[in-house]
Amino acid sequence: MFQNRAEALTLALPAATFAALVFVLPVIVLLSGGLHVEGRWTLEAYQRFFADPLNRLVVWRTLELGALVTAAAAVIGYASALAIVDLPAAGKSRMIGLVVLPLMISPVARTYAWLVILGRAGIVNKALMLIGLTDEPVRVLFTQTAVFIGLLQLFLPLMVLSLVSALENMPNDVIPAARVLGANWLQIFVKVVLPLTREGLVTGGTLVFAGSVTAYITPAILGGSKVLTLVTLLYQRVTIANDLVSASVIAFILIVMSFSANLLLNRIATGRSLK
Amino acid sequence: MSDSAYLSLEQLKLAYGKTVAVDRLDLAIKQGELIALLGPSGCGKTTTMRAIAGLLAPVSGHIHLDSRDITRVAANKRSVGLVFQSYALFPHLAVFENVAFGLRLKGMRGKELEDRVQSGLKTVGLSSFASRKPGELSGGQQQRVALARSMVMEPKVLLLDEPLSNLDARLRLEMRAELQRVQKETGVTMIFVTHDQAEALALADRIVVMLNGTIEQIGAPEEIYNRPNSAFVADFVGFENVFRVRAGELDTETGRFALGGAIPREAQGLAWRPSMVELGGGPFEGSVRGMSFAGGTRQYLLDTPLGPIKVEASAHLPTHALGATVRFDLPVSIAAPLQRFG
Amino acid sequence: MTMRQPAIVVLGLLVAFLVGPFVVIVAASLSAGDTLAFPPQGFSLRWVAKVFAEQSFRSSFALSMFLAVFATLAALVLGIPASYAMSRYSMPFAEAVRTVVSSPIIVPGIIVGLALLRYLVAPFGINVVVALFLAHTALVLPYCVRVVSASLDNLRSDVEEAAILLGSSRLGAFFRVVLPNIRNGVLAAFILGFVTSFDQVPVSLFLSGPGVQTLPIDMLGYMERTYDPSVAALSSLLAFLSIGIMFVAERFIGFSRYV
Repeated sequence: MFQNRAEALTLALPAATFAALVFVLPVIVLLSGGLHVEGRWTLEAYQRFFADPLNRLVVWRTLELGALVTAAAAVIGYASALAIVDLPAAGKSRMIGLVVLPLMISPVARTYAWLVILGRAGIVNKALMLIGLTDEPVRVLFTQTAVFIGLLQLFLPLMVLSLVSALENMPNDVIPAARVLGANWLQIFVKVVLPLTREGLVTGGTLVFAGSVTAYITPAILGGSKVLTLVTLLYQRVTIANDLVSASVIAFILIVMSFSANLLLNRIATGRSLK
Repeated sequence: MSDSAYLSLEQLKLAYGKTVAVDRLDLAIKQGELIALLGPSGCGKTTTMRAIAGLLAPVSGHIHLDSRDITRVAANKRSVGLVFQSYALFPHLAVFENVAFGLRLKGMRGKELEDRVQSGLKTVGLSSFASRKPGELSGGQQQRVALARSMVMEPKVLLLDEPLSNLDARLRLEMRAELQRVQKETGVTMIFVTHDQAEALALADRIVVMLNGTIEQIGAPEEIYNRPNSAFVADFVGFENVFRVRAGELDTETGRFALGGAIPREAQGLAWRPSMVELGGGPFEGSVRGMSFAGGTRQYLLDTPLGPIKVEASAHLPTHALGATVRFDLPVSIAAPLQRFG
Repeated sequence: MTMRQPAIVVLGLLVAFLVGPFVVIVAASLSAGDTLAFPPQGFSLRWVAKVFAEQSFRSSFALSMFLAVFATLAALVLGIPASYAMSRYSMPFAEAVRTVVSSPIIVPGIIVGLALLRYLVAPFGINVVVALFLAHTALVLPYCVRVVSASLDNLRSDVEEAAILLGSSRLGAFFRVVLPNIRNGVLAAFILGFVTSFDQVPVSLFLSGPGVQTLPIDMLGYMERTYDPSVAALSSLLAFLSIGIMFVAERFIGFSRYV
């Protein structure tokens, strides 16, 4: 450790100044736009925003999608992670590679694939008609279900990776020990695995939730204007109505959601390092 | 400071932020001496060493080296070498390049560089390892590379931070001999930091015992070992029975006790090694609470009116059973008189 | 005790769900038909060829490449010294600096884009490409700081002190000893930053203007106008590019350790 404080600040200041000027300051000005209307500080913009049932619906839908995607990712994530950590070393690293890979590929490309799969002439509809479940193509695209599927595919890898590392950090032999003591698989999961991997679940869950509520591409492509979320609503308010006050309100709500998720994540992370 | 001092620290005060680690430290070291800074962790010995190296700027006080004030001289211009506890070899460079690192910075090139590095590696017996990476060496080998890397720079002072602590028992003896040999051959002034009194006693010309950021005692190994001047040093070098003295009597928590002889006037305390306690007769009485066999000797723990007393007796003498009452003596004539207590 | 059978089923479904869509777009992009469909109607490379022929894709690809490379380089130039200061010095306001530097990761991208457009680009008349460059640099900065900091924390600081005591200056020690040892971390940070910038949509959404579009924004616009498989072809090409980068990065620096 070096002591020279002036030297330290000289090294850190360019990055801090840059982030503050290019980033923190404009965002703060934007946020204040919803609180400072016509020369005075007021919560009117917020009251007006929440008075509109459509806006309330969008806030609710955004939270609902976030919660559903997080819950589904947790269930699938546990099943997958438990299977992955059981693999022999070579298979495990290959499998983790397959899980990391989608994260490196453009979300536009990833979401675009669902257009092909869920569209009127897509595989899902063809399969449904082939087995005679329906005569007419079912409308999946531009529904909340489509957005849900797209978001889940986008963020599931983050949950799987968190849970794999949590399971790998679990003390050896606790599962055989519980088995020897007579627990069945459900009891083992609820009483042993879940408590011991709680941090991994919270880390993954926070990433998935924050990602889902702040995503733009997936709701824009798969939901369109029929299934608005907060982010697509913000885009619409700005581009169609040039309504910066609503945009500021939505931005604030989004930052609160993302920030609480991040705060939770940090709380968990520091809790772990203190132990 | 004395004229013969090669390295001297005067009224040195060192701190990390607001935490003072070393205060008003005076120390004079002669050229070619092998000095041990001995003390428990947190006593300031490593901090002192870092200040000599220039890695920590003193709050106040002065450091002189070779009749030059180096207090404000940058670490890279001091000609002070340091062998880190972790060795701190450059992981991306081969052994040869690690040793050549400082020489290259001095502008040395070609044959001269080659020769210097090779002779440095030869001194530590690693000539055939020149092309290995540090990660491929054992701990002992890494340490010898670190030693060679510092020594080829021909430093005025070589500092070593806990040089033996990361080695196993066998390597430790080997490395001890190695350090002594290198020091004898080169005559370099060497200061090493250690918390192990046996290591300090075996290696050093003089030992500096430190506690809580100040020097407790400076002396030759025999002096430290036989005539500790404070309760702390006495306990540190194995005088396990230490008593405060007041008005010519032992002053314990359970009362005052007169001894069979005259206590030196200036003594604040008296200390006995377990082997110095005479068992089987004398003015005191205690009961045996613990006994363990240690080859040539037996060690007893006695419950006595003075408090617990540790005794070491020859295994040839009759055994005292647990619970037995024994008489013992604390002979004043052989006790170490302590000038400071607490 | 064995859970082999269900495990294989679970992993099969996981891979199908995560990787399946790529198989679908790759197949769809090789279709001979005029509209997006799966299974593809016949086989042809006409849509792949169209991607390369499309002027707008070529210019937006160039812009995205330019942004990804230079924004990441700029973020590294800013981020490496900041990471070094936070890792090696007891610095005043360390927490504040860390929060400010990493805030772009917390605030949703669309808000960043809007804020920059309204309060930096519009009032100061900053060129759109410059604005995109600034925005992408800010966006990539937290990733660079995170990955570089992790590498620095893994390198003991006494290695630098050893270099200094052997006569090196502080700066010299950084270039001779620190940088070579965090090289893989810096490369990983570059790749992560590059991919983050290249794939970025929300930040660029408001900042892209007519004629100045990043590739993902261009793709989104194209999708709204036409329903032919050329976006599928482009997506497949990008996916293969990513797979290639990932494969090389994994092979040489063990990339997934740094994600």
